[in-house]
Amino acid sequence: MEYVVQAEKLVKTYGEGHNRVEVLKGLDLAVRPGELFAIMGPSGSGKTTLLNILGLVIEPTEGRLRLGGEDIYNGKRRDLQRLRRERIGFIFQFANLIPFLTARENVLLPLELIGVRGRQAVQKGMELLDYLEVADRAEHLPEQLSGGERQRVAIARALANEPRVILADEPTASLDSERGLSVMRLLRKLSSERGTAILVVTHDTRMIGEVDRVIRLIDGQVVDEVTESTAPSEQPVIQH
Amino acid sequence: MNLALKDINYHRFKFFSSVAGVSQLLMVVLAIGGIIRGVIYDSAIIITETGADLWVVEKGTLGPFAELSRMPEDYYHAIEVIPGVVEASPLVMAWEHVVRPPRPTPLMKFMYRNAVLGTKTMVEPGWMDVPMEQRFVVIGSKPGRIGGPPRIIAGRGIEADNYEIVADAKAGFQLGERVRLGYHDYTVVGLTNNMVGLTADPVIYTTLKEAQQILFRPDPDLLRDRRRRFQQQFAQAATIAPRLADGLAYQASTVAEDTHFINAIAVKLEPGTSPDAVAQEIGRWKRLEVYTAPQQVNLQLMGSNRLILLQLSLFRVVLVLIAGIIIGLIIYTFTLDKVKEIAVLKLLGTPGRRIYGMIFQQAILMGVLGTLLGGALELAIEPFFPRRVEATYGDIGQMLVAMTVVAVLASVLAVRRAMKVDAQSVLGT
Ligand SMILES: Nc1ncnc2c1ncn2[C@@H]1O[C@H](COP(=O)(O)OP(=O)(O)O)[C@@H](O)[C@H]1O
Ligand SMILES: [Mg+2]
Repeated sequence: MEYVVQAEKLVKTYGEGHNRVEVLKGLDLAVRPGELFAIMGPSGSGKTTLLNILGLVIEPTEGRLRLGGEDIYNGKRRDLQRLRRERIGFIFQFANLIPFLTARENVLLPLELIGVRGRQAVQKGMELLDYLEVADRAEHLPEQLSGGERQRVAIARALANEPRVILADEPTASLDSERGLSVMRLLRKLSSERGTAILVVTHDTRMIGEVDRVIRLIDGQVVDEVTESTAPSEQPVIQH
Repeated sequence: MNLALKDINYHRFKFFSSVAGVSQLLMVVLAIGGIIRGVIYDSAIIITETGADLWVVEKGTLGPFAELSRMPEDYYHAIEVIPGVVEASPLVMAWEHVVRPPRPTPLMKFMYRNAVLGTKTMVEPGWMDVPMEQRFVVIGSKPGRIGGPPRIIAGRGIEADNYEIVADAKAGFQLGERVRLGYHDYTVVGLTNNMVGLTADPVIYTTLKEAQQILFRPDPDLLRDRRRRFQQQFAQAATIAPRLADGLAYQASTVAEDTHFINAIAVKLEPGTSPDAVAQEIGRWKRLEVYTAPQQVNLQLMGSNRLILLQLSLFRVVLVLIAGIIIGLIIYTFTLDKVKEIAVLKLLGTPGRRIYGMIFQQAILMGVLGTLLGGALELAIEPFFPRRVEATYGDIGQMLVAMTVVAVLASVLAVRRAMKVDAQSVLGT
């Protein structure tokens, strides 16, 4: 069975001695291509921690993490920065575009980082902006865009390196419900059209209807819930 | 895509106003360098423009400028015959004042008022009054020999004893102007540029004989009095040998009136002649001291202007350091303003060298643009200084190198701050 992301018995503890907090307690998770996930859970349940581990920003204390079949922490020293720029897309609550770059340049940056330059890059960038219906905003700076446009440009940026997994951190929280919903439908479209697996951390229960699956983080463990919407996976892939 | 330039373009006003600030500071640094060069040139220019290999002065003195040196005029004949000597030019060089009401330019007036205001708490009444006398260095030489006015920028040189002078433009003289020197009026027939003594007093050139009259001729009343005293001294002898006494009295008074002195002899050698060998030969003379041209400059530069030179050089280094600290602080605050973007860039997997490169590039660009602009400003303000200030393109080039190094060092702090930025901080709700 092919998974885009596979985590086994993830443990993450912060601090030492009296200050020691075990946030993740042997968490298992597997994501298939094209799946749209929502990660929910009360504040402090470890959602951000999980996203940071899956995004190769922090290392788990224990456990295994496979990305596209490759075992990341198997003792060999890996260039996590490079894996991030080549394999993962990020979307944030606030678009977090680079303010001094235009919409187009914001999309070109991740391409440049993986060595795609020149005409090829420009063409690809415009394609993405077009796909997200913000092509006419290409030469605008982030401050000249509306919140929804910014988030679309940010999504275009996340798609630039053609990642197999996109990690989204509260992508709708800063938008009104209408725009939030449209961003969510857009992510839905991406995952089904491009086969990109998308993990969305969200508090917004209205989004539940838009996703394939909802993972609840409770006490450092995953509680899996399948939603009514049709999931591309035939069966639950979370192992307890 | 160059992130440093994109960021600068976005924060244009912030960046370029900082560059403007830095450039003004660097203008001051370069101007102090120019002032230092001015002091050096002023200390050396009479010696370098004369072009003598050796300077002969009175035994035991540092003359002609660092100390009073005086010797009979005809000494130069004996030096001229030494093998290897091409020319020995007797020179009169000494300070002399001219009573001349000041005619300051509006700029000079401003500078004077500014100085008076600025020194109010430092001086006592009368100390800052404008003097009615102007001090000059009078140089007299035999026409056609070395030591005369070099590079005349207007008018002509002096060919004969005709009560004519060539003066430095800095003194504010006009061609054709008449100036009272000693007991005669002189006409300004030519102007030089930048010819000053080691204290920046402008030079007045004239012939040897006229310079001797200006500088060595006593007051006519004093002379009359002296002559009478001689006659009295010889009055007793007159009763015994009237004809002899008259002659003696006359002789004695001419000795008293004698102005045939010089202050220095400038010696030019044949190419290939060892200055040391000739100096040794001249030095055998009991009453003479010999200096090479570099030694003579050294006496004036390090003998008289040493402390001001040390002071300015120290001040310049302090300013360079301050410029470095200021660039460092500016770049550091720029980096603080970019912490969020740096975190995003890191999260997107941007290699560190790209991010830190952006900081270094901005710092270096600030140093380079600041230096170029500061250099242009310095060159523009130079002519308005009361004393010679001369920064060169070489100075600006040197400053470019120094500022690049300073900028790199100054951005270390900012880069360290950027290194501490955690990609983790971007994800966190
Ligand atoms: N860097 C850290 N050091 C220490 N404790 C941390 C750190 N990051 C998170 N925590 C703790 O881990 C727990 C989970 O945090 P987080 O992953 O942010 O949860 P959530 O995103 O679900 O609110 C919280 O109790 C938080 O205080
Ligand atoms: Mg959180």
